[in-house]
Amino acid sequence: MPGSRLRLIAGAFAALVAAGPVLADDSLVYGKSDPAAKNGGKITVGSLIEPPSLDPFLQGADARIRVSGLMYQGLFFEDQTGVPRALLAKSFEVSPDAKTYTFKLREGVRFHTGQSMSSADVKYSYDWMRDSRNGSPGAGDLSSVTEIATPDATTVVFKLARPNAALPMTLTNKYGAVVPKDYFAAKDAGTKFNEVSVGTGPYKLKLFRPNSVLVLERNKDYWQKGLPHIDEVTFATMPNSAAIVVALQNRRIDLALFSRPQDTEQLKNVPGVEVKRWPSLNQKTLDLDVKYGHLKDIRVRQAIALAIDKEAVMKASIAGYGTVIGTIVIGMQDSWGVPLDQLANQKVDLDRAKKLLADAGLADGFDIDLTTIIGYDWMDAGAVTVAEQLKRIGIRVHIKKIELGVWIRNFRAREMGFTFNDWGTTPDPSLLYYRHFRAAPQGADFRNWNNEKVSALLDAGQEEPDPVKRKAIYAEFQKILADDPVSIMMFSADLITGQRDRLKNYDQHATGWYFGLIKAWLAN
Amino acid sequence: MFRFLATRLASAAVAALLSSLAVFLLMRSVPGDIVSQMLGQSGNDRTAEEALRGFFGLDRPVWAQFADWLGATLSGDLGRSWYQGRAVTTLVWEAFLVTAEIAVATLVIATLVGVPLGVLAGIREGTRTDAAIQAFNLLGLSAPVFWIGLMLLVGASALLEWSPPFAYMPPSVDLAENINIIILPVLSLSLLQAAAYSHFVRDTMVTELRREYVRAAIAKGLAPRQVYFKHALRNILIPLVTFIGLILIQILGGAVVIESLFSLPGLGRLILSGIQGRDYPVVQGALLFVVLIALVVNFVIDLLYGLIDPRLRP
Repeated sequence: MPGSRLRLIAGAFAALVAAGPVLADDSLVYGKSDPAAKNGGKITVGSLIEPPSLDPFLQGADARIRVSGLMYQGLFFEDQTGVPRALLAKSFEVSPDAKTYTFKLREGVRFHTGQSMSSADVKYSYDWMRDSRNGSPGAGDLSSVTEIATPDATTVVFKLARPNAALPMTLTNKYGAVVPKDYFAAKDAGTKFNEVSVGTGPYKLKLFRPNSVLVLERNKDYWQKGLPHIDEVTFATMPNSAAIVVALQNRRIDLALFSRPQDTEQLKNVPGVEVKRWPSLNQKTLDLDVKYGHLKDIRVRQAIALAIDKEAVMKASIAGYGTVIGTIVIGMQDSWGVPLDQLANQKVDLDRAKKLLADAGLADGFDIDLTTIIGYDWMDAGAVTVAEQLKRIGIRVHIKKIELGVWIRNFRAREMGFTFNDWGTTPDPSLLYYRHFRAAPQGADFRNWNNEKVSALLDAGQEEPDPVKRKAIYAEFQKILADDPVSIMMFSADLITGQRDRLKNYDQHATGWYFGLIKAWLAN
Repeated sequence: MFRFLATRLASAAVAALLSSLAVFLLMRSVPGDIVSQMLGQSGNDRTAEEALRGFFGLDRPVWAQFADWLGATLSGDLGRSWYQGRAVTTLVWEAFLVTAEIAVATLVIATLVGVPLGVLAGIREGTRTDAAIQAFNLLGLSAPVFWIGLMLLVGASALLEWSPPFAYMPPSVDLAENINIIILPVLSLSLLQAAAYSHFVRDTMVTELRREYVRAAIAKGLAPRQVYFKHALRNILIPLVTFIGLILIQILGGAVVIESLFSLPGLGRLILSGIQGRDYPVVQGALLFVVLIALVVNFVIDLLYGLIDPRLRP
C-alpha cells in the first residue's frame, strides 16, 4: 500500500528525534525467521561475479559487498523497507539539534578473532574509514562527522558538523565495518582480509581462492543465538548463465542470482528448482553529460527523454522482468518516489520532441555516440532499441561498446558523454542522489549538472530529520530531475533467483546482497 | 654448441625485456586504473584518490615504475597482487600448473588422435576414408572452441544429467575429481587440436608420398608399411615437431577462452582478471612468464631438430 513504508519510516524517525532511545528489534534484523528452521548442512551458491578482494574498507565492487555482509557488520542493517535497523548498535538517541548521535552498543559481541567488541573498536573503524587519506570509497558519506567519542566501553557518540538524517543508513554494511582496534597497523592488513576474516558477522572466512571459490563457515560464537542455520556456504564462480542453469539442474548448486532474467526461462519446468522474482534497489539509466555536444542544451535532453519508450527498452533488455520507473528505484518508489503521472517527460511525445529539437536549431537531427559496457548484456539490446527510438526524431545514434574499467575512468573524470548506466543504492534518498547530483566539491556531480537549486535541495534533504518534510524536499528534487533529465531512469530489473527446493526461508535482499542466507536453512 | 646456447639465451633475454616493456606500457595506456575501479561510482574525493595512487606507486613517473619493477624482477621478485596481496610468483605458478595440466592432456589426446588420422588420410588420399577424415578436420577447425565447450556442457547435462564440479581440484589431491573437472575443457581443446594435427599431417604426408624417394622405395619392392612409417613419416617429423611447439603455445594463448568457459583458475583467467582489475603486477608477471615459456618451448624444439636430424646439429 503506497505510503505505508513512509509511515513506517516516519514512525522510526519520530522516535529518533524524540527524547527516548530507539531500541533494536532483533527479530527484524536480516529478514523474517522461520520457526521450523533446522541447523546444519552445506550449500553452494553459483555466481557470475566474484570479489576482486574482500577488503570491506577499500574494495567498492558490488561482488565484494554481496558476500562481505555475511562476515562484517556495521552499526545498522539496511532493512529494505527503508528503515535502518540497529545491528551492532543496541539503541541510539539523537540530540535536539540533530548533530549528535549517541549509540549504545550490544554487549557480548565477539570478533572472529575471539576479542570482545567495544566502543574503542567502533571509533577506530569509523575514524579509519572517514579519513580520506586511507582511500575508502565510503569516506565521502561520513564527511559530516567531525568527531567520534567513546564515553564508556559500550557508548559511541558521533558529532556532526551539520545534521545528517541519512547517518544511520550510512552506517550500514556497504562500505567499512567494525573491526578490531589497530587492525590496520599491520602493513598487509588490507590484503589479509582475503585470508582471515576479522568481523563480527554470522559467517567466518574459510577459504578464498580467486577465480574459483569462496567458502564461509558458520561463526559458532555469533551474537544472535541460533544463527546462522547453515554450517557452510560456498560461492562458486561460474563462467556463464548456461553453466549456472546446468549446475542448478544437476544439483551442483542450490542458489543463484541471475543477471539476465530471461536466462531463467529454461528453469521453469525443472523439478526441484524454483525461480523467484524480487523487487530491487537497482536501476538502469541513460545518463547525459551536460557538457557533451548537443546535450548541453536542455531542450535536446528533454527531446531525448520524450522519445524514449521505457517499456519497450525494458522488454528488449530484460524481457520485461522489471518495472518502469520515473526518478527513483522501484524499491523506494512507495517511500520516497513521486507518482509517474506527476513527473514531466515520462510519456512518449514525438511531436513535442521534434519541436524541441527544432527550437534548439537541430530540426535535421544530429549524430551522437551512445556508450554501453562490455559484459552488461542488457545494454546491447537496450542500445539498439534506444537507437531506433531516437531515430524517429532524427537523432542518429552510434553505439560504442567499451570495457568496464575504461567506462569507470570516464565516469569518474566526468567525461561520460551519453551512456547507459547500471547502479544501485541502499534505501535512503540521500545515499541515492547526493553523490551523483550534488555540485562539487560536496558531491561528485558526474553529469556536470552544477545545478544550484538541486544542490540546495540535496543539502536540505540530507539535513532534514522530519521524514514528511524530507519527502517533500526529495519530491521537489525529482520533479526538477524529470524536467531536466540529466539521468533518464528507465526501469528497475527484478532480482531473479533460482534455488533448489531444499533451501528454505531464503529472502533475496533488494540490494542484491546475500543477507538472506543468515536466516535460510536446509531441509534434508 | 656453447656459442649456439649463448646466442639463444641472449636473444631470449632481449625478447623477454622488450615484451615486458611492451606489456608495461600497454597496461598503462589503457584508460582507468585500480584506483578508479576501487572508488567506482562513489564520490570524487581527490584526497582518497591521491592517497590510493600514492599507495600503489602510481603517482610516480612511468619510467621510475618500470625501473623498480625490472630491478625487482631481475632479483626474482615479481611483486604482489594489488588485490590479493599474494606473491605474483606464487599466483603465476599455481595458475600455470592448472594450464599446464590442460595443455599436456590436450597435447597427448590430440597427438594420439590427430597424427594417426592424418597419416591414414594421407595414405588413403582420395578415398572415402580420406574424405571422412577431412570432414572431421573441417568441423574441428571451423567450430569455435567456446561453442564446442558449451555444447559439451549442455550435452552432458541433457544426456547424462551430469555437469562438472565447479572448484578446481589438483590431481595430487583427488585424481578422480580432477578428471571430472578437466575432462570437458580438454575434450573441447582436443577436438580442435586433433583436427589441426590431422589436417597438417595429412597434407605433409601427401606431399611426402609424392616425392621421388618414395616412388623409388616402392619400385624397389619395399613393403608399403616400411615406406610409410620408416621413410615418409620420419621425414615429416621435423615439421611435426615445429607444429607441436606452435600448438603448445597456441593452447597457452587460447587458455583464456577455455578457462573462462569452465571456470578453471589457470594462467589465462589470471591474466584476464588482472587486466580487467588493472592489477598491473599480476599482468606483468604472468605475461612475462608466458613469454618465457614460449621461448623455452622454441629452444627445446631447436634442440629436438638436432636429435631428429644430425645434419641440423649446431
